[in-house]
Amino acid sequence: MDLTKQEYLDKVLKTHKMSHIQDLVDKHKEKRNEIKEKIEVKYSGNIYSSMNSGSFAKHTAINVKFDWDLVVPYKKDSFDTLEKMFNDIYDFLYEAYKNEAYVRKQKVSIGLEFYADKDGDIINIDVVPGRELNKDQYNDDSKLNLYVNSQYGLIDEKSYLQTNIKAQIDHINLKNNEREIIRLLKIWKKHNNESYKSFFLELFTIKAFEKETIEGNLWEKLKKVMEYIKDNVTKDGFALNDPGNSSNNLMDILDTYNRDNLSSKMKRMIDNIEDNGNNLESYFPKNKNFEKDENDASNSGYGLKTASISTSIPPNNTRFG
Amino acid sequence: MLNIENIKELISDISFISKIYSIEKKDSIIEGKIGIFFDGLDEVLDFSFEIYPQYPLKHHNSESIRFSNKDLVEKNHIMEDGYICIHNSHNLNFKQKLLIDFDSLKQWIEKYYINKKKDSNYEHIVVEESFIDDKYYSYIFTDINYKFSKGDYGEVKLSSLSNTIFKEKAIQNFLVNGFILNKANINCQWNSYYQNINADKRGLFYFSEEHPAKYNKFILKNWKDFDGLISKDFLNFLHKFEEKNLKKSKGTILPLFFGYKTINDKIHWQVALIKLGEFPIIGEAEVLLGIKTGQWNSKLIDSDIQWALTRDTSYKYFFGRGILDQSITEKKILIIGVGAIGSMVAKTLTRSGCKYIDIVDYDIKEPENVCRSEYMFQFGLTDKVTELEQILVSISPFIEITLLKDEFFESITKIIYKNDEGKEFLTSILDDYDIVFDCSTDNDLMSILNNLDLKCDLINLSITNHAQELVCGFYPNIYHFVDTQFGSILKNDLNDLYEPTGCWSPTFKASYNDINTLVQFSIKHINNLYRESKQKNNFILKMSHDNLKLEIKEY
Repeated sequence: MDLTKQEYLDKVLKTHKMSHIQDLVDKHKEKRNEIKEKIEVKYSGNIYSSMNSGSFAKHTAINVKFDWDLVVPYKKDSFDTLEKMFNDIYDFLYEAYKNEAYVRKQKVSIGLEFYADKDGDIINIDVVPGRELNKDQYNDDSKLNLYVNSQYGLIDEKSYLQTNIKAQIDHINLKNNEREIIRLLKIWKKHNNESYKSFFLELFTIKAFEKETIEGNLWEKLKKVMEYIKDNVTKDGFALNDPGNSSNNLMDILDTYNRDNLSSKMKRMIDNIEDNGNNLESYFPKNKNFEKDENDASNSGYGLKTASISTSIPPNNTRFG
Repeated sequence: MLNIENIKELISDISFISKIYSIEKKDSIIEGKIGIFFDGLDEVLDFSFEIYPQYPLKHHNSESIRFSNKDLVEKNHIMEDGYICIHNSHNLNFKQKLLIDFDSLKQWIEKYYINKKKDSNYEHIVVEESFIDDKYYSYIFTDINYKFSKGDYGEVKLSSLSNTIFKEKAIQNFLVNGFILNKANINCQWNSYYQNINADKRGLFYFSEEHPAKYNKFILKNWKDFDGLISKDFLNFLHKFEEKNLKKSKGTILPLFFGYKTINDKIHWQVALIKLGEFPIIGEAEVLLGIKTGQWNSKLIDSDIQWALTRDTSYKYFFGRGILDQSITEKKILIIGVGAIGSMVAKTLTRSGCKYIDIVDYDIKEPENVCRSEYMFQFGLTDKVTELEQILVSISPFIEITLLKDEFFESITKIIYKNDEGKEFLTSILDDYDIVFDCSTDNDLMSILNNLDLKCDLINLSITNHAQELVCGFYPNIYHFVDTQFGSILKNDLNDLYEPTGCWSPTFKASYNDINTLVQFSIKHINNLYRESKQKNNFILKMSHDNLKLEIKEY
């Protein structure tokens, strides 16, 4: 790898920018606003103002995986039970969109996956219904109870989960350094099919920045966070409390076996990258779809020689066996 | 050099040797007789000994000194001719070796004569395997899913396995295919390949339950010794069988199986060889209260028994010496692509006890494939899967193999993966297996399979040119990892490929040894991961820079 680790990771982030898929982002915004309006008409008087959530709202989205969540806060009196609330909004969305999207019940949300449009684009939006915890206090405390439709971490299905999505978003607000690392870890998660929750990686990163002195270039910061995860994930008593619900410790989703695995995984990543910087490509690949755009962008700025796609016969990724 | 005086001097110094009756040299063998006494013995115990000219070296893996006492044959670890069984440590020093060997005699006396120790390990009865008409016969059997009762008898279905050479004589090997009891078939638990081979030969069996042996360890030598062990009914059945078949098959050798229980209700078989027309029975008039009833019964005659060779080849024994972990051997396995790596994986898994392996490949075997794969010259041009199936079943009688449609992964998969129904179909095919090895080196297929939502374990194996590295990816993180390793990280030298004369089809350079070294180490590592239920991390396997060790780098 001719680039330094810092330069390479910078390119990784750039090729994963949401702006590369601005058309798709605009389509999501448009569709989300449409859903939002329909819900506000349907549940007028029973809900507070809907709120955007998910990685796009937190500015941690990457263009290979992003969530567009729409939180719908119901008033305390709107439904007898959370289950009725969940089923009612599902029925409503199903009727409204059954001809243009797959509408399905998910763990705590209703997923809408719109059929591919003329450009082949697919819009995914999750609607998260929640009911205020205490009557008429949502505007003050932002606390919601979510209905757990199917098992969610350690929480059984047909139960509830208390959360505060506004607090979760505020938790990462104005933390640009953290966001870069979170996006890199999400790139790692996505391209390596890792099963860790994005929210878990997000909280771990923020805590690492809180507890350690994390500075230097992008690789040095990433390495520090990975070391922090490696050293702490196996520690007894180490907690990652959900800023939306302090009794929800995200560490509970990992058993001892998986904690050990994550720790050794972080160690191997650091060792392998330190051993050979090219291994960054294995863990944190660039989004090849936008690599050329980024090169073009840098070319226009600095007049460097344009990179071209080289071909060889046989191709350099030829395998044998 | 063996010297009587030296030996005499040496053994007279041994404290537990109370008497030296004689030592003399006969031809090249030194023979002697000694008396042994030490605390624990009531009286002096006499032993003869023989020292052979190879001493102190072993020959034919046996000691070149032997001790015997025919009066002790009932004891454990002593042969019928009175020789005790000892296996001592190697020592090139004549004097030291002699002391070791006499000390082992003392240990045998303590263990098996004084303390009457019984070993927990079951030992088969001793059979002097003989030939008939200058030819050996062997009968290879395995487990059955049936419990015989004492006195059961019937027919044995046999398949001819091979005619070859054994101890410099001809031998015919038979496979015991099954038993017929009261017209019901009892199949042996071979794989379907062996169950389906022609079982056109017959034998007879009798289940005696008890060992047909003297002192429970030496096989009976004379038919008269069987008196009381086999029923009158069976003898009469033998007589009728001979009478019925004599005319057309006189002189034919018929194997007579005697079954008995060993441990945990396991059945072992010994086979006596008898010729039609020479059955070891005669008719005897039945007498009741001193009066002949007019009925005739068969009885055994005084005649030596010719014992054939039998081998218990049940799964447990067959793989008893070494096997992969059960979490692999009991699993249903698919191997996609059986080139160099795939054929080595298939053969290794088969030889290591796997029971269910399906294989798929569209390719044919060319003679030039032989040098670095498991294929054989003798089969000529064949479909790879056809030949590999032959090779695998010739290794293990317990491997079940199905050949999948050759074009499926190569062609059909690449059409159907584009829609949900196709993906579901593909997923259902793969999820019918527990473990899928993708050794196809097909990047397109690797991508398609990695994008499925699979429950099975998918393992991708491939190597770089010159077999510098082996890359192993585990689902669900195969495609990106493998592609990046080959594309950006490993030094896959593509400027030095082998280009066969006559066509432009460059291939990699590596020998069987180069490739199989990596494949075997990888399978060892994968086996460890399964056995210890460890996280399956992608890995690169390569030789160290100094070529002295293999290194695994996990990702």
